[in-house]
This record gives sequence, structure tokens and C-alpha cells, in this order.
Amino acid sequence: MTATGLKINQTYEIEGISASPLMVRMMEMGVMPGKSISLLQKAPFKGPMAFLIEGNILALRIEEADLIQIKGS
Amino acid sequence: MEVSEKKAVKSIAIIGNPNVGKSSIFNQLTGLNQKIGNYPGMTVDKMMGYFQIGNKSFELIDLPGTYSLYPKSEDEIIAQKVLNGLGMEKPDAALVVLDACNLERSLLLGTQVLDLGIPMAFVVNMKDLAEKRGLSIQTFALYKELGVPLVLTDARNNQGLEAVRDLLSNDDFAVGKPFYELGFAALLEEVRLKFGFETPYQAFQQLVFAGYDPMLDQERKQWLEDKARSHGFDSQIQQTRETNQRFEKIKSTLSRTQSSGSGKPKKFHATLDKVLMHPVWGYVTFLGIMLLIFQAIFAWAEAPMDLIDGVFAALSGWVSDTLPPGVLTDLLSEGIITGIGGVVIFIPQIALLFGFLALLEDTGYFSRVVFLMDRLMRPFGLHGKSIVPLISGMACAIPGIMATRNISNTKERLITILVTPWMSCSARLPVYIILIGLTVPDEAWLGINLQALALLVMYLIGAAFTLLGAFALKFVLKSQEKSFLMTELPIYRMPRWQTVLLTMFNKSKIFVLEAGKVILAISIVLWVLASYGPSGEMEAIEAEEKAMLENVVEEQKFELTNEFASRKLEASYIGILGKAIEPAIRPLGYDWKIGIALLTSFAAREVFVATVATIYSVGENVEDELTIREKLNKQVHADTGEKVFTRATGFSLMVFYALAMQCMSTVAVVYRETKSWKWPVLQTIGMTIVAYLGALITYQIWS
Ligand SMILES: Nc1nc2c(ncn2[C@@H]2O[C@H](COP(=O)(O)OP(=O)(O)OP(=O)(O)O)[C@@H](O)[C@H]2O)c(=O)[nH]1
Ligand SMILES: [Mg+2]
Repeated sequence: MTATGLKINQTYEIEGISASPLMVRMMEMGVMPGKSISLLQKAPFKGPMAFLIEGNILALRIEEADLIQIKGS
Repeated sequence: MEVSEKKAVKSIAIIGNPNVGKSSIFNQLTGLNQKIGNYPGMTVDKMMGYFQIGNKSFELIDLPGTYSLYPKSEDEIIAQKVLNGLGMEKPDAALVVLDACNLERSLLLGTQVLDLGIPMAFVVNMKDLAEKRGLSIQTFALYKELGVPLVLTDARNNQGLEAVRDLLSNDDFAVGKPFYELGFAALLEEVRLKFGFETPYQAFQQLVFAGYDPMLDQERKQWLEDKARSHGFDSQIQQTRETNQRFEKIKSTLSRTQSSGSGKPKKFHATLDKVLMHPVWGYVTFLGIMLLIFQAIFAWAEAPMDLIDGVFAALSGWVSDTLPPGVLTDLLSEGIITGIGGVVIFIPQIALLFGFLALLEDTGYFSRVVFLMDRLMRPFGLHGKSIVPLISGMACAIPGIMATRNISNTKERLITILVTPWMSCSARLPVYIILIGLTVPDEAWLGINLQALALLVMYLIGAAFTLLGAFALKFVLKSQEKSFLMTELPIYRMPRWQTVLLTMFNKSKIFVLEAGKVILAISIVLWVLASYGPSGEMEAIEAEEKAMLENVVEEQKFELTNEFASRKLEASYIGILGKAIEPAIRPLGYDWKIGIALLTSFAAREVFVATVATIYSVGENVEDELTIREKLNKQVHADTGEKVFTRATGFSLMVFYALAMQCMSTVAVVYRETKSWKWPVLQTIGMTIVAYLGALITYQIWS
């Protein structure tokens, strides 16, 4: 599963980030394997998603959220 | 004895992640008022400040925030350039600001700077928040690990800055031990020598960055690529490896030096976000805030505006009563005082507008708007982050256009730059308010004030053309670059009222001073051009006037003087100029005097009021103590005797001012931001054509 499929307000763990030109930038912003992640809000009409990642809120579009692999499930 | 080889002024760059408080620290140390806001990407340009501690002088450089030394947008590039001494002298030392609540992430950049080999120190800011969250940072242990001094601060409340000053004055900066273990020793050494770098990490960066570096010439780029290939150096893999290994090492360092608490923001913030980012309530709130701002500039500002208006009318009357009558007095009372009054009167509105924007910036709300608007902006070729320049553009296009540096996609950034001047800026307010006062009755219709409605429509026209323009540009401009949104939403903060008030004061001051200067200059030029003409003509009219005055009875003299005054005006240089362009603007419903105002307004639109005040009063016996609006209301066409400012002309003028690029400063900023004359020139031409057509259609509809 990727971060696009998270249920609101449940905490998950990041497993990894798919290889892409944005991977390094994501890591730089604190999106890294082992960090906790939960979904806070989705903007309507498939707009951006807001995630709480280790205490920081990050807004990502669906394409970017789809790069984040979630552990388990 | 110590050999003094130090420079007289020590230059120190402040670098750190976005929104960690770099500008706050800069302000505390320099006493300046660099703009601070709770929005990652507030600072988009480098800013210098000078100060002294004891007898030592320092130059402090505030930089835009960046997450790493691998920049992704225009503002981040500035930070990277300054640190590497590109385009300016390399700073002597760096203050790297870390976020106490996000040490791990901030140390990624921190250790990169460390590896550059520049003397540095860490400032761990936001210590108040870390304490609240139960994080405790063992600075001494960290110092031992990193080999660089650390100072804990709370820049918002001026805590710990004394320690920073001590650090500066004792010159405690240190070159840390290299943090990241680079491979490719032979390759890096070759690059280092070729480019004259000091440390292997600089060489490593240059290799990784070769692909995107706009500063690099073709030959060197090729050289780097060849070298990288022959050594099997893949920049993407290397950059990933670097980031991973840094984080691993940082984690293990921190586990020894930090006892962590919850690290999470308080519940309150989450609750607020549930509303402000809600798929329905979020938008309702945003709309509400926009309407509130509009209401404030329309209704709340009215009382102080009336007061100012009265004061200036009285002043202008007093001047013309007190000084000996003559053209110079007319210039002063009718042109300059009235013109400046026409700008000063907007202080309440402009202050309110800037105040509201400062409030929104300071609370952290702007990032939420980016989140809400991204999806709506994309079909128009814009980015969620474009909303910040566009909203700032409601106050002034210049900071708005600067703010686009934060948008990493070049096409989206360019579109935002090109359409921002269509947002209704504060300099249009004077024109709108005057013309609405002349042409729209102050009556209520279904409980809505018609004048308020007219103003709202003008704002909506601006916004609609902004979006339409962006939509059209989306198809014209080509780009393969992929757009992405990755932005932090900072925690909410209480606005600092003092700063908000200061911003209101400063912005109003700048507005009046800048406009005042232009108005003064233009009024004088206009007055000269209106009082003199090609040799012979003016004298001929004057001689004729003299002759006729001798022959008429006393009662007719007054009328006759007025008639000759307008003939003289038409014979003057300005009259000749105006008459020359009249055919072009006649279809828009303007006479040649308004045409002159259009011409002068190309410098800055707020000059409109002063220009018409000057032109309409030259040589006329206007009664004293009339406000500008009353003066304009009395103007009639010389030939037909009809009112000049009819509804059709007024509306057409408003549409013209809404859509035309009448601001030299904006043109200059667009040139600077796009680094070519192509865009500002095309933009000005395009906007003028659209404005002309818009005004033409409006006039034809209403006349
Ligand atoms: N609680 C707390 N807030 C702070 C502190 N320092 C700065 N702030 C707030 O953090 C926000 C960002 O501050 P700035 O000084 O603009 O940050 P910056 O690093 O210059 O940000 P950019 O220019 O966007 O990179 C503002 O709302 C400040 O009031 C601090 O020590 N504690
Ligand atoms: Mg700043």
C-alpha cells in the first residue's frame, strides 16, 4: 500500500520511498523509512493530501503521496 | 603578538531550513525589520544587515530557507550560491539555524554546510517549543560530537541572543570535522583542482549538481559529465546515498545527545486544521476572510478617509487664499496638494490591506490556503503556491512577483509572474474610489450598497482576468518539467500584533512617499507643459485675449477669461500632445485630458488623480475647498457641454485601469525575475491591448 490509501487519523509506518527524482527531496523534508505517518485531510476533487509525519504536517499531491510505501498491510 | 589579517567587517551568512526563524534572528541581531512570517518561503532574497558588537563590525546575510544544498527553486539557489561564494564574495562564516523540534532534519543541511569547510556555528532555535514538547537537547554533548559550537535560542522572544552575540564577538566559529564519508577520492580531487575548491565535498556537490547548474558553461559541464562517467559516478545514486548516510549518522548522534518527549504539536492545532482545511468549511472560511478584507477596505476605512479628504481640501483652499494668486499658487494648491491628498487619503485602506495580509502570513494560514487552492489552480496552469503571490498582489504586485521564487516549476512560476499584475492592487484603489464616487449612486439595492458592489466587481474583474490570462498562457508556454507539491504546513502561531502594526505603518509610509515623489515630479512637468507652448501660438492667443478684454463689459470678462484659458491649454505642449492621441482614445469615451492622465499613469497608476486634478485646474477659476471628486464632477466637454465623467466613461476608465500594466516598478521587477526584457515587454503590450479592448467594449455597452 502507498500513502494514498491511508485511513484518516490512523497511524502507520513508512516502509520506503519509490525511486523517483523526488525521492531525495522527500527524504530531505523528513519522509523516511521508519517514520510514523497519518493522514489528516484530503482536499476535494483529488486535491492534495495533508499528512502528519513525525510531528510535522506535509502537504503532497496524490502523485507524490503515491511514492510513499507503507509498512504492513 | 597577534597578526591582524582580519577584514574590517566580518561577513556571516545565516542559513537553515525554511521557517526555522532565520529572519527573526537576523532582525534581533541587526535591529532591522526584515520580513518575518509563519510561511516556509517568506524570505526569497538575500538581505544584508550591519551591526557592531563592541568595536567589531559585522555584516549579516539573511538567506532564503532551504532543505539541503541541492536547490530546487530560485530562492533556494540563492542560499546555495552565497555559501559557495558565487556571484558575491564568500562569507567568512556561517550561522546554521536548526529547529530544536526537528533536529534530525535540520542537521541534514547543517552537516552539509559543515562539510563545505566554512567556519560555522549552530544556532538551535525554537527552544521554547522544544521545551513545551519535552525535548531536551544536550548542547555540550552535541558540540563534542560535531565539533562546532551550539547556541540555544528563542528568537521570537529574544532569548539566548546574548550568547549568539558573545559567539560572534569572540569569533568562536569552528571548522567542523568532515561528517559524511565521501568515496571517489581520486575523482573528487581532480574536480577540486579543476574548480579550485577547498574541500572534496564542494567537488562532490559540483558533480551531483552539474546537470542543473545554470551557472556552469558547456565545456565544464561536459568535462564533469565525462569524468563522472569514467569513474562510474551516478549523481542520483550518490545523492541518495549521501542523504541516507547522513541521516543514519545524525540519528545515532542524536540518540546520544537528545532525550525525546512527545515531539508532537498540541491538540489545538489539529482541531483548528480540521476546520480550516475542511473540504467544505475550509473554503467557506477562506471566502469569508476575503470578504472581510474587502469589507474592511470599503467600509471601515471610510471615516478616516473622509477626514483626510476634508483636511486636504481645506489645506488647498488655505494655500490659494494665502499665497498671491498666480500660476505657481495654482500648481501648489490644485496640482500638488490635491494630488498628494488624493494618495494620502488611501492610507487607511492600504494600511488595512497590508495589515490583514501580515496577519494571515503570521498565523500560518497561508500554507493552508496553498493546500486548499492547489487543485483549483492547476487547471489554470498555476500552482497551489501561486495563491500567495496572487493574494499579495492585492496589496502590491511587486512583493507578489518576488514571492514566486518559491515556486519550483519554471512554467508555473512564469505564468504567475505574468498574471499577478492583474490582481487588483492598492494603487488602483484611488482610481476606483474616485470614479465610483462620480458614477455610481451611493444607494442600497436589495440591502447592498451599490458603490460597494461596484468596487467588488472591479476586484472580481481583476481576479477573473488573472485566471483567464493564466489559462491562455498555459497553452502558449511549453514545458516538459513535472510539477509537484511538497510543502510544509507550519504550526499556527499567534500573530505578533506589534509587527503587524509596524508593517501597516511602514507599508503606508512607503506607498505615500513613493507615490508622493512621482506625483510631485509629474505635477511639475505637467504644469510646465500646460503653461507653455510652441513659441508664437500662446502669445498670439494672449494678445487676442487682451484685445478682446478691453472691448467687453465687466460682466463678460469672467467668461471670456475662462474661454481663453481653455484655448491656451489646448495650444500648450500638453494640449498638442493630448490632441494628438485623442483619436485613439475617443472610442473609449475619453477626452484628451483623460488621455494625458493615461499617459502619466504609465509610470504609476495612482498618479491618475493628481494628473486630472492638475490638468483640469490649470488656468481655471475653480472655487476653493472643493474635494477632487467635486471638481471632476463639474467638468463638462468644451464643445458639447456634456459631463465628462459620465457612467460610460467612468466604467470604461475603471476597466482600463483594472487591466492595463501601468506601473514601471512592476515592469522592472518582472525584468529582474525573468532575467530578460522579452517577458516584461510582451506582458506590457498584451495587457495594454486587453485593457484597450476591455475599455472599448465597456464604453460601447454603457453609452
Ligand atoms: N515559538 C517560536 N517561534 C519562533 C522562533 N523563532 C521564530 N519563530 C517564528 O517562526 C516563524 C518563522 O520565522 P522567520 O524568522 O520568518 O523564519 P525564516 O527562517 O526566516 O523563514 P523563511 O524565510 O521562510 O525561510 C515566525 O512566525 C516567527 O515568529 C522561536 O524561537 N520560537
Ligand atoms: Mg526568512
